[in-house]
Amino acid sequence: MRQDLPDLACGVVLAAIGLFVASYAATHYELGSLRRMGPGLFPAVLGGVLLGLGLLIAIPAWGRGRQAGSVAWKDAIAVLAAILVFAAGLERGGLVPVTVATVLIASIAAPDRKVGWRLVLAFAVTLLSVLVFHFGLKMTIPLWPNLS
Amino acid sequence: MSGWEGFLHGLSVALQPGVLVYCVFGVVLGTFVGVLPGIGAMATISLLLPITYYLSPEAALIMLAGVYYGSQYGGAVASILLRLPGTPQSAVTTLDGYPLAQQGKAGVALFASMTSSFLGSMFGILVLIMLSGVLSRAATAFGAADYAAMMVLGLVAASTIGAKDPAKGFAMVVLGLILGCVGTDVNSGAQRFTFGQAELMDGVNLVALAMGLFGVAEVIANIQVAERGGVPRRVALRDLMPGREDIRRIPFPALRGASLGSFFGALPGTGSTISSFLAYAAERRISRRPEKFGHGAIEGVAGPEAANNAAAISAFVPTLTLGIPGDPIMALMLGALVIHGVQPGPLMLEARPDMFWGLIASFGIGNLLLLVLNLPLIGIWVSMLRIPFRWLFPAILVFVCLGVYSVRGSSFDIFAVALIGAIGYALSLARFNPALLLLGFVLGPLIETNLRRALLISRGDPLVFLERPISAVFVLAIALLLAMSLVQAIRRKAQRDRQR
Repeated sequence: MRQDLPDLACGVVLAAIGLFVASYAATHYELGSLRRMGPGLFPAVLGGVLLGLGLLIAIPAWGRGRQAGSVAWKDAIAVLAAILVFAAGLERGGLVPVTVATVLIASIAAPDRKVGWRLVLAFAVTLLSVLVFHFGLKMTIPLWPNLS
Repeated sequence: MSGWEGFLHGLSVALQPGVLVYCVFGVVLGTFVGVLPGIGAMATISLLLPITYYLSPEAALIMLAGVYYGSQYGGAVASILLRLPGTPQSAVTTLDGYPLAQQGKAGVALFASMTSSFLGSMFGILVLIMLSGVLSRAATAFGAADYAAMMVLGLVAASTIGAKDPAKGFAMVVLGLILGCVGTDVNSGAQRFTFGQAELMDGVNLVALAMGLFGVAEVIANIQVAERGGVPRRVALRDLMPGREDIRRIPFPALRGASLGSFFGALPGTGSTISSFLAYAAERRISRRPEKFGHGAIEGVAGPEAANNAAAISAFVPTLTLGIPGDPIMALMLGALVIHGVQPGPLMLEARPDMFWGLIASFGIGNLLLLVLNLPLIGIWVSMLRIPFRWLFPAILVFVCLGVYSVRGSSFDIFAVALIGAIGYALSLARFNPALLLLGFVLGPLIETNLRRALLISRGDPLVFLERPISAVFVLAIALLLAMSLVQAIRRKAQRDRQR
C-alpha cells in the first residue's frame, strides 16, 4: 500500500461534496441564464469546480506514499466532547456546573496525570466566566440547574 | 481632508478615553497571545468578535486591529527564545533569532525585533495614509465587473503565491465560497442549502466558523506541540542594550523590510507571512556576509520583523478603501465591520471619517505604546512563556463556547463550532489551509452579487470582463498566476520523477 491517505480521503470527500452541491443546486434551484443568474447557477458552478479539484487532489495521492502524520485522537476527542457537553448542558444545567464539567473533560487531553491543578483550573475558569459573561456582559443564562 | 488633517482628526477620536482603553487592551492582549505559541491573532480575534457587539464600531475595530499588530510584536519572543514561532508571521525569525539567543544575545535579538517592528509599522502607516486617499478616489471608477475580477484575483493570489499545493488552496477557497452561499439568497430571496433549518437562514455564522477553524482546531493541534519548547532563560532589561556594531546593522534592513512589507501587504492575497519570508530572502541576497545567515545575523531578524508589521498595517488599504479583504485576518475585520452595519469601501473615507482616521491614528498610538511598554516589560513577556498550555486551552474552549452562544443565544451554534472544529482539524492534518476557506466565505456573497450585476449590465455577455480596462488587468493577472502555478507544478513533478 503506497498511498497518501490523508490527501486521498480529503480529495474524495471534497469531490463528493462538490458533486452533491452541484447536483442539488441544479435540481432544486432555478439556474437562470448568464444575463439573469438564478440562485442555483453560482453554487452549481462552484460545486462542479470543487468536484474537479477534489479529483485533482485525490488521483495523484493514489500513487504516492507518505508517512501519515500522527493524529492526536485523544486530544481531539477530549476537546470535542468538552464542547458538546457544554452545548448540550448550558441551557438546562446552568453556567457553573457546565463550565466545571467542560474544563475537566477538556483537561483529559493534557499531558500529565495529576489531578489537583485541574480542580484549581476548573474553579478559576468558572469564576472568570461567571464574572465576565454573567455580571460583566449581563448574558441571560442561568447559573445553576433549573430544578423546578 | 488631507492626510495630515485627517490624522490629527483621527487622534482626537482615538485619544478619547472610551476608545483609548480598547486600543491599550487590544495591543496588550495581542502581545500576550503573540508571545504564547498555540494561540494566534486569528483565534483571538474570532474570540473577541462576539464581544464587539457591546462596543462602538470605532472601539471594536481599533481593539481588533490592536490584537493583530500587537501579536506581531509578541510573536518574535517565542521565535527567538524557543525556536517556536508564536505566530506564523514570525516563523522566519526563528532562523537567525534562535542562533542569536544561543550565543547569549537573546536580548539584542529582541531589541532588534521590537525596534524593527516599530519602524515597519510607522512606514506602513505612512503608506496607508498616502495610498488610501488615492485609491478611494480611483475606486469610484470601479464597476461591478472590476470588483468581481479583483476579488477573484485576491483569492487566486492567496491560494497560489507561496503555496506548495495550489489545488488544495483552491479547494479551500471554493469550499468557502460554497459555504458563503448557504442561507437566504440576497438577490432572489431563495433559501439555499438550509435544509429546513431556521438557524441556517442567515447563513453559516461567521463567528462559529472562525472559532471552529481557528479556536478549536488550533487548540487540538497544539496541545502536545505547544509544551515541547521548554523553559526560556530569563531576559532582563539591560540585556537588551545592543552594541554599536549591532545598532548599525538594524536600520537599513528594517527599512528595506518595511518597504517590501508595505508593498506586499497592500496587494490582495499576499499577507504578512509571505512578506516576512521575502524580506529574509532579500536580506540574505544583498548581504555582504550571506554565510552569517542562519547562524545569528541580526539583519535576518530586523528585515522580516519590519516586513510583517508593515504588511499588517498596509493590509488595511484594500480592506478600507475597496472593501476587499486581502488576507483572512482582514476578512475577519471586515466581518466585524459588517456586524456593526458599516460597509467598508470607497465611500467610507467620506461617510465615516471618524472611523477611518481614528483607526489610522490608533495604529500610531498603539505601536508607540507597544514600543514603550514592551521594551521595559520584556522580562514579564518572557516569563509568560513559562505558563504551560494545559492551563490555557480549557479556558480558551469555555470562552469559545460562551462567546459563540452570546451572539444570538443559540446552542445550535455551539454544536456547529464542534463540528467545524473537527473538520478544521481534519483539514489541517491533510495540510489544507483553513484560512483560505474563511477568505472564500467572506468574499463569496460579494463576488456573487457583483458578478450578477456585471452580467446583468452587459446583458449576459461574459466578455465584459475583458472590455473594461480595470477588470481586464485583473483578469490578465489571474491568467498569469494560474499559468505560473501550472508551470511550477509541472516542473516539480518532473523533478520528482527524476529523483526516482
